[in-house]
Amino acid sequence: MRILLTLLLVYIAYPAVAQQENDLGTEAQRAEGKEVYDIKCAHCHGYEGDASAVATPYLRPTPRDFTSGNYKFRSTASGELPTTEDIKRSIRLGMPYTSMPAWEGILSETEITNLAYYLKTFEPAFDGPYGNPTVVEIPRAPSYSADPDHLARGQEIFAANQCADCHGENGRGNGESAPELVDDWGDPIRAADMTKRWTFRAGATREDIYRTFMTGLNGTPMPSYEQTIDAEDRWALVDYVWSLSRDTPDYGTTVTVQGRSGELVLSEGLFEAAPEVYFPIVGQIIEPGRAFYPGVNGISVKAVYNNSEIAIQLQWHDMTAETDGMNNPLIEVPMFDPAQPDTTMDGWSDAVAILLPSRTPEGLERPYFMFGDSRFPMSIWYTDLATDSAAVLIGQGSGRIADNGIALERSASYEDGVWTVQFKGPRNQGELTMPEATFVPISFTIWDGFNGERGNKRGLSAWYHLYLEPMETQSSVLPMAKWFLIVLGAELLIVGLVNLRARRRKTA
Amino acid sequence: MNLFVLLAIAAAMVLVQFGVTRWVKLNLLAWMGIWWVALWAAFSYGINPPLPNSIIVLFMAIITIALVAYLSADNEELKQAQESIGRFMVTRQYRVALLIVMFLIPAAVAAWTFSSMNQAPQPPSSGRTIHPPPPSSITFQGTSINLTTANNPLRELQHTDEAAFAEHVASGRRIYFENCFYCHGDNMEGAGMFAHGYDPLPANFNDATTIAMLQESYLFWRIAKGAPGLPSESTPWSSAMPAWEDFLTEEEIWEVIIFLYEFTGFEPRAQGMPH
Repeated sequence: MRILLTLLLVYIAYPAVAQQENDLGTEAQRAEGKEVYDIKCAHCHGYEGDASAVATPYLRPTPRDFTSGNYKFRSTASGELPTTEDIKRSIRLGMPYTSMPAWEGILSETEITNLAYYLKTFEPAFDGPYGNPTVVEIPRAPSYSADPDHLARGQEIFAANQCADCHGENGRGNGESAPELVDDWGDPIRAADMTKRWTFRAGATREDIYRTFMTGLNGTPMPSYEQTIDAEDRWALVDYVWSLSRDTPDYGTTVTVQGRSGELVLSEGLFEAAPEVYFPIVGQIIEPGRAFYPGVNGISVKAVYNNSEIAIQLQWHDMTAETDGMNNPLIEVPMFDPAQPDTTMDGWSDAVAILLPSRTPEGLERPYFMFGDSRFPMSIWYTDLATDSAAVLIGQGSGRIADNGIALERSASYEDGVWTVQFKGPRNQGELTMPEATFVPISFTIWDGFNGERGNKRGLSAWYHLYLEPMETQSSVLPMAKWFLIVLGAELLIVGLVNLRARRRKTA
Repeated sequence: MNLFVLLAIAAAMVLVQFGVTRWVKLNLLAWMGIWWVALWAAFSYGINPPLPNSIIVLFMAIITIALVAYLSADNEELKQAQESIGRFMVTRQYRVALLIVMFLIPAAVAAWTFSSMNQAPQPPSSGRTIHPPPPSSITFQGTSINLTTANNPLRELQHTDEAAFAEHVASGRRIYFENCFYCHGDNMEGAGMFAHGYDPLPANFNDATTIAMLQESYLFWRIAKGAPGLPSESTPWSSAMPAWEDFLTEEEIWEVIIFLYEFTGFEPRAQGMPH
């Protein structure tokens, strides 16, 4: 609708727009595009291009409705249609961290071109007077500057343009209006978390960031700032946004747990020097209660230990803290059914759990990662963030979880989009021991109450490891000296003997 | 294959073989050393994905033996090599070089000791059996299915009733995109939107070592029983494959199997063919 209005307005304002040849491809190209589309694209975007298909209800962000002409990624002004190259680029590179894969390497360049022409047939405007929009020029990016003044200027622009309203004060996607954001179709949509550049849908290079705020993302609440941000300030904003994120998620597999002498007092300072590891969180889609669009996509972990205890800190980004209501891993969740959407979305608090084996595993064996089973139960360090307590639960599978009565020390805080939860428990609990220099399996699960997550509708991780770094490491100086001398001695012996023989031969 | 590195190494070796030896008479030992280093570089940097260290050590041991065998095959050359080593140890003009070499060898051993003592600890890992042998029969929703004789009941239609077969393929497509593609991916390459969060990674059906070499009854078993039905050598505790018997009917599973083969263009291995 919006695009039609825009087009109408523009049409009235400039009746004499010169009509250029629209780039629609040939009949044959479009027909070949359709063939590829029906096989590779239709199950998400619909055979009619209207985003009504078998997989659509399971996906968020919702797959593009091509009949609307609203394309998020464009090099053209806000509200305008994309160029053929824009459409091809979206197909080629996909949309990171959504269900839209990068088709580069799977489809040929010709197939991608044909597809782009076919997609254009879903929206008649491509064949109209505005089917060939002008491209917003992106100047060549100057090299990145971390100059404090330059970045401070960027931060000013960020503040002046109210970016924080949606993206949050520090860009964590937790702005005040973030929870209410919907796209043009009324589906909830999330403001980008600028500290996770790798999730940017329209690309994560500095040129991509520049283009995104210059052209806006059609169909979403993201407008264009072409008119409001002066040319000389644009790269400052780009570099400020760029400075908020590391390059890659850098997913880890092992939490190195550092030893500490003395008592472990849960506080910010306790974990200061401990190395941080980041793990991916994905939806639980294995058992009923499937979570196809979990609210959390990663968790940062730090841990320390002393003689008898271990303390673990979990941090994750969440746009709102749900500290009212309740949560529990045992809550029954209806099977995901597009015909009957989950309507009981309110009243659930945020919650988190660390999952450990209930006994020290032998070899590779560990509990089934869906809360364990009766053969090998799981020890679940669980806390409902609406309460201020934590406990160890014993899991023998989803729906078979019991409180075994061990309380854990826990502290939790939420600040500017980040949950920080710290647990402390004994290093030896029942049959599970965590000696130094050993690997202990660990996994995580997060319930985002805002997203209606409870029971088995949750975000989870695969099995990873804790490694308790020995407090005292053996010095390698002595063994090094020993081997140096042994080899040197052998050499001297050989060279000495050879020389001796040579001298004897000479005298003989 | 890292073609660029391999080409550079090959070019360097051509230069050594046909260029350098024309002007400088290369000592046999030096020539062997150059070959040894070139092959080591090719194995270490020329192959992608990189070979495990243990494999490189094994290859280099074989190459060392081969070079020594080459040397000792000719008495004259062997004697020459021995003499040149002996000369290096006794001749006064090589004294400084000898001292350097005598220092460097134990220093290298010490460095190796240091790095082996300070290696980042490795989590326990072992080979995971990807396609474990199936049981002879399974119980599916109350009925027993013999996996050694079971055939896909819809397969016949491919030749007898094409329209009905196409309908089952379409149904399989619907099932796949409602249930499977989040992990196994749009293109069945095992790279769906949640794949990065799981370990082991979801199977890639385009790979010739998955559905292309399996019988349809094997796929039925894997789909119906999922991770919980895997034997322990396949680490059933970490696989994210659901037991689809809880969600799908028998016909739906056969339909999605047909769709996997239609989409990838592979043919299932026929029943009764040896593994």
